[in-house]
Amino acid sequence: MNRRLFGLIFLLGIVFGCKDKPAPTAASASPGPSGSGAPTAEKPKPGKELNLFAWSEYVPQEVVDGFSKETGIKVNYETYASNEEMLSKLLAGGTNYDLIQPSEYVIEALVKQKKLAPIDWSLVPNFKNIDPKLKGLPHDPENKFSVPWMTGTVGIVVNTDKIKDPIKGYKDVFQKKYKGRIVSLNDSREMVAWALEASGLKSNDITTENLAKVKPMLAEWVKLVKVFDSDSPKTAFLNGDVDIGVVWSGEAALLYQNNKKFAYILPEEGAHLFIDSLAIPDSAPNKVGAMMFMDYILKPEVSKLISEKFPYTNPNLEARKLLTPEQLANPASYPPAGERETFRDIGKISSEVDKLVTDLKASN
Amino acid sequence: MTPTAGLPDTQGAQRAPGLRGWLLMAPLLAWLGAFVVAPTLIMLVYSFCDRDELGQVVFTFSWSNYARVFDPTYLKILLKSVYYAAITTAICLVVGYPVAYWVGRAPERVRNKLLALIMIPFWTSFLIRTYAWMTILKSEGPLNSLLLYLGMISTPLDILYTPTAVVIGLVYSYLPFMILPIYGSVEKLDNALVEAAFDLGAGPVRAFSNVIAPLTRPGIVAGVMLVFIPAIGMFAITDLMGGARVPMIGNVIQNQFGQARDWPFGAALGMTVLLLFAATFWLTTKKDPSAT
Repeated sequence: MNRRLFGLIFLLGIVFGCKDKPAPTAASASPGPSGSGAPTAEKPKPGKELNLFAWSEYVPQEVVDGFSKETGIKVNYETYASNEEMLSKLLAGGTNYDLIQPSEYVIEALVKQKKLAPIDWSLVPNFKNIDPKLKGLPHDPENKFSVPWMTGTVGIVVNTDKIKDPIKGYKDVFQKKYKGRIVSLNDSREMVAWALEASGLKSNDITTENLAKVKPMLAEWVKLVKVFDSDSPKTAFLNGDVDIGVVWSGEAALLYQNNKKFAYILPEEGAHLFIDSLAIPDSAPNKVGAMMFMDYILKPEVSKLISEKFPYTNPNLEARKLLTPEQLANPASYPPAGERETFRDIGKISSEVDKLVTDLKASN
Repeated sequence: MTPTAGLPDTQGAQRAPGLRGWLLMAPLLAWLGAFVVAPTLIMLVYSFCDRDELGQVVFTFSWSNYARVFDPTYLKILLKSVYYAAITTAICLVVGYPVAYWVGRAPERVRNKLLALIMIPFWTSFLIRTYAWMTILKSEGPLNSLLLYLGMISTPLDILYTPTAVVIGLVYSYLPFMILPIYGSVEKLDNALVEAAFDLGAGPVRAFSNVIAPLTRPGIVAGVMLVFIPAIGMFAITDLMGGARVPMIGNVIQNQFGQARDWPFGAALGMTVLLLFAATFWLTTKKDPSAT
């Protein structure tokens, strides 16, 4: 009996151990699969499998299934909750990702480092549906590497049943009286951008001096936040655990759809635009399949499905024609037009951004 | 009972392992080498490296990561993690010991059924069970609704995303690891010794502290180790139930390999914690030669 018992405990240990420390397993697994898919690369025919590495709560299962049904390519869908997390896994090597979904500043960095494969537009004819205003932007000036997936803003959601004060900007959110009622994205670059904007600086003005300037403000903010969640910040609102927060516009749009009491406010200090795009890592084994996927999601009726499930701002003008007036009237999905900055690659100082936020959260 | 041909070999196994011994151990050694020794060595190398702007590891040699480990911020988190792990272990011991004792003393037929009850939660994924706890504890969840309905509270209790929620999650997850080893010791406990204690005039308290507790000590030690050490490094529960806001050392390390993209620093933190565990383990086993 005793030996059986210890065997049991040992098994439990393994089961639990895996959950505890994924780091060593990930590291040890990395040398393995690296070269395995290489021979199929560069052939005009697509590979049998497509490894999609995308944001969580961003790719509807219907779209993945629809693509598999149409092309016979099996899609392996893995998720991440921040650009940095994706970079970390992608650059560690040993991964087989065919398609990633970075934001504009990450595309810029990856292009600089020559980590992306150019797109063969003859395989992606539906690119014509994309809003011309989103073409030729600084992160991909020649439209060689990326296909916009969704764009959006980062803004404030207020549960107007609970909070009656007027909320206009970041400074109104991070107030002592809302301590423990605030949700924030768990994203260092975003948080630093908010603090910069609240201090009258530009979201891309990231220098050592400016970081030092906003550090005390961020330190205060971090103390007030109840939940840091980039995956699904709407959950904390729906569960009644928070009343106010700074979240992705698509999450805000879903909350508004759920109940009109969730108001969306673009911060008056300055709001920025994000453009999440599909791109192909240069190490991708199934580049052709990746381009087929790009073309598939650019079809108006497919793009419409994505908008229905995740109501960010759809960059596909043909798909927008298929949306209902109600969907187009959602203030979080389609906010009033205006000049908005996008994040730029900030190079080496990004490590200081990561360190600043890590240390502030750690000392909380 | 044993065929005679097998005898010399069995005796041989008592001495230094021969070729056959090594062959039998080979799978285990290969496993340990590939999944414990090699990754640890990789981490050791990384911990002296640096990161570039995208977060890739750059091979240089510097002690800067270790210097940062000993920054008060991180030492404070380490202490906090030890503190939460200690609370978790204490609660598990207080709750788990009576359960283990009762199960261990139950008639054999009942005993196996009770053990199965302890194991049943492991049939579902640990993450699903954690999400279930989040549903129970949330502001508008069943627990608060029940308490409000019964009039025991007037405003919803704020439990989810607090340290209390983290400790609840930790105790829930690790309780079986306390119960099972103690159960093992209790099962072996000779009833005659307990009866002798009572016959010699010991009250229940004295019988427990002088006879039962010392005899089940190996189980207690094993249980404490199995709960305390993993609880220090746990990050999934703190992330989900603590709202990524109550950092434990496990969260800080995990974050370095994800969001913060600073593998070398994460490796340095990991190596430091590993050394601390090794040192603690060595000290406890040295003091107590009976615990093997």
